[in-house]
Amino acid sequence: MKIDLANPAWRQTLPPARSIAADAPVAACAFNRDGTTVAFALGDGSVRRLPADITAAAPDAPPPVHGGVVLALVADPVGDGFVSGGDDGRLLRIGADGTATELFNQKGKWIEHLAAHRTTGAIAASVGKTAIVVTKAGEVREFGPHQSTVADLDFSKDGSRIACAHYGGVTVWSLGHITQGQAAPPPRRFAWRGSHVALRWSTDGKFIATGTQENDIHVWRMAQATDMRMQGYPAKVKSLSWTADARFLYTSSQPVFTAWPFSGKGPEGKPPLQFGEEGAGLLSVVAAHPTAEFVAGGYDSGELQLGDIKAKRSVVLKMADGSAITCLAWSPDGFGLAVGNERGDLLVVDLHR
Amino acid sequence: MAPTPLSAQVPVTVLTGYLGAGKTTLLNRILSEQHGKKYAVIVNEFGELGVDNDLVVNADEEVFEMNNGCICCTVRGDLIRIIEGLMKRKDKFDGILVETTGLADPGPVAQTFFTDDDVKARTKLDAIVTVVDAKHFLGQLEQGSEAEEQVAFADVILLNKTDLVSPDELAKVEGKIAAINPYARIHKTEKSQIDLAVILDKGAFDLKRILEFEPDFLTHGHDHDHEEEVKSQSITSDRPVDPERFQKWMGALLQLRGGDIFRSKGILAIDGAPRRYVYQGVHMMMDSDWGSPWKEGEKRSSKLVFIGRNLDGDNLKRGFEDCLKQ
Repeated sequence: MKIDLANPAWRQTLPPARSIAADAPVAACAFNRDGTTVAFALGDGSVRRLPADITAAAPDAPPPVHGGVVLALVADPVGDGFVSGGDDGRLLRIGADGTATELFNQKGKWIEHLAAHRTTGAIAASVGKTAIVVTKAGEVREFGPHQSTVADLDFSKDGSRIACAHYGGVTVWSLGHITQGQAAPPPRRFAWRGSHVALRWSTDGKFIATGTQENDIHVWRMAQATDMRMQGYPAKVKSLSWTADARFLYTSSQPVFTAWPFSGKGPEGKPPLQFGEEGAGLLSVVAAHPTAEFVAGGYDSGELQLGDIKAKRSVVLKMADGSAITCLAWSPDGFGLAVGNERGDLLVVDLHR
Repeated sequence: MAPTPLSAQVPVTVLTGYLGAGKTTLLNRILSEQHGKKYAVIVNEFGELGVDNDLVVNADEEVFEMNNGCICCTVRGDLIRIIEGLMKRKDKFDGILVETTGLADPGPVAQTFFTDDDVKARTKLDAIVTVVDAKHFLGQLEQGSEAEEQVAFADVILLNKTDLVSPDELAKVEGKIAAINPYARIHKTEKSQIDLAVILDKGAFDLKRILEFEPDFLTHGHDHDHEEEVKSQSITSDRPVDPERFQKWMGALLQLRGGDIFRSKGILAIDGAPRRYVYQGVHMMMDSDWGSPWKEGEKRSSKLVFIGRNLDGDNLKRGFEDCLKQ
């Protein structure tokens, strides 16, 4: 890997990138499973797909596939395309050729959050107070209703469970019965007062982290069902990202990269690791690199940074431009970075060169 | 370069009113009539609305307590989520209307706009509009506290179905409304027929526009029917206010009585300050700022208004007296 933030020469040349103005806010972005295509979920109902190779010709903007806004987007865990959710209540599979197939539809509800599990091929979606799981075979199972609208969800590492964030805490459902034809075991509930607005299950499956309405982070340790709270954020933490080795949890809503250490005895009583250039505004999205010790951070000012936790430094990839970054996604090999913002600028950064 | 619509705060009008008062009729009119404006409407009784429009959003009223030790600090979680989602649309709109269910307390809706930073950044609470059923209002007052509280919270009142009552009955209803909340502007309507300019974009929560309500402050200084459980209390003084004592008094008052104080607003002549100090609150939440400067030779006086339940007027007056320069 050529990314070397300690090398001053690297810091002076910004990596090549493709930039396209889509003229509609970007809600989410993702690379497909093999990393050849990148897609952006747009506020005009379309899913804009671009070749990950930034030198390849970009196809024209496609027509909308959702009625209103595309609210969520993930790589299709079984195909070469994507899966999208919209405020029209539809969950769509977008094929490699762009054709949309409906997986689920509930008019009047918004499909705001999606998760996909690569090995099981399952897709989880929030549908109001309920979560649904669409299996590889296309069967739809419902989990809930929860006590409030599901505010985020994620699969466990092995794909055997889903965790749903809501008012009052987190509910974890076992999916085992789906494949084995057993009765559904009762869900496990992890209670903490207040509204939980973001959720990420650690990449080793041992922790579930949430961001709360009160600008805190809450983390439950699965094995002992003990929990911890991190305070001191000036805004809600809506973006959480675990490093690939689960040693650190990156959190948004700080002016510098902020990582809580989870190796050894965990973060209790320790300050978070903070490093890098102080950016303009607060981090609105963080995305840990899929393989190495890098992290991408988008700010509410539009600034984009790439950080290196080993070197404890960061570089600015894009200056603030007044349009908050809303989503970031790494390609599976970690050489491509997709970036979307409120204004509708689609950016694909190529770190190969 | 034109300002981007993303940075502009979208005005939000909260529409309350007892079941059957005429909220749905009003919303249908707003959605179907040609007025050259585009509104997103957040409704609770989905299906009742006859208009099929993709800017109509169905919401479950999800009232969340904030886990921050403040007992009456409740917000509408669904509203935070829906506003965030609406802001992702390519097509922008001129305003958002939030309909509350007939029995809802408008408090949590209003507090959401004081509490949530994301909501505050993208939207601004414009006004609370309450639709009152002229024929059934007096009966509804007997049935519970909701109808009374909805009037107490209001900036604008649509006194609807006036064609169904006699002039005497109407006068009685108007008197009752004025006894609860003399600061709301009342518009008499039939079948919710109203010029939308009268209810939308009022800036009732805009601190810069509190001064526009000043005439009301002056004309409504009369004594109220003391039988009312929910009523308003105004206090005026020509002596300058000691800012520290005022902060302390108001802080303690809202801490202790915030649950019963629905709305409060005021213009203060702070001792030695060249500008007016304006504030406005819903329950325990409060916004304040410096307003326009006092003119040369202008009489500097302070005016405070509270609307709430079981207000002890004498106690409030004494409390404010203690905040004044001797």
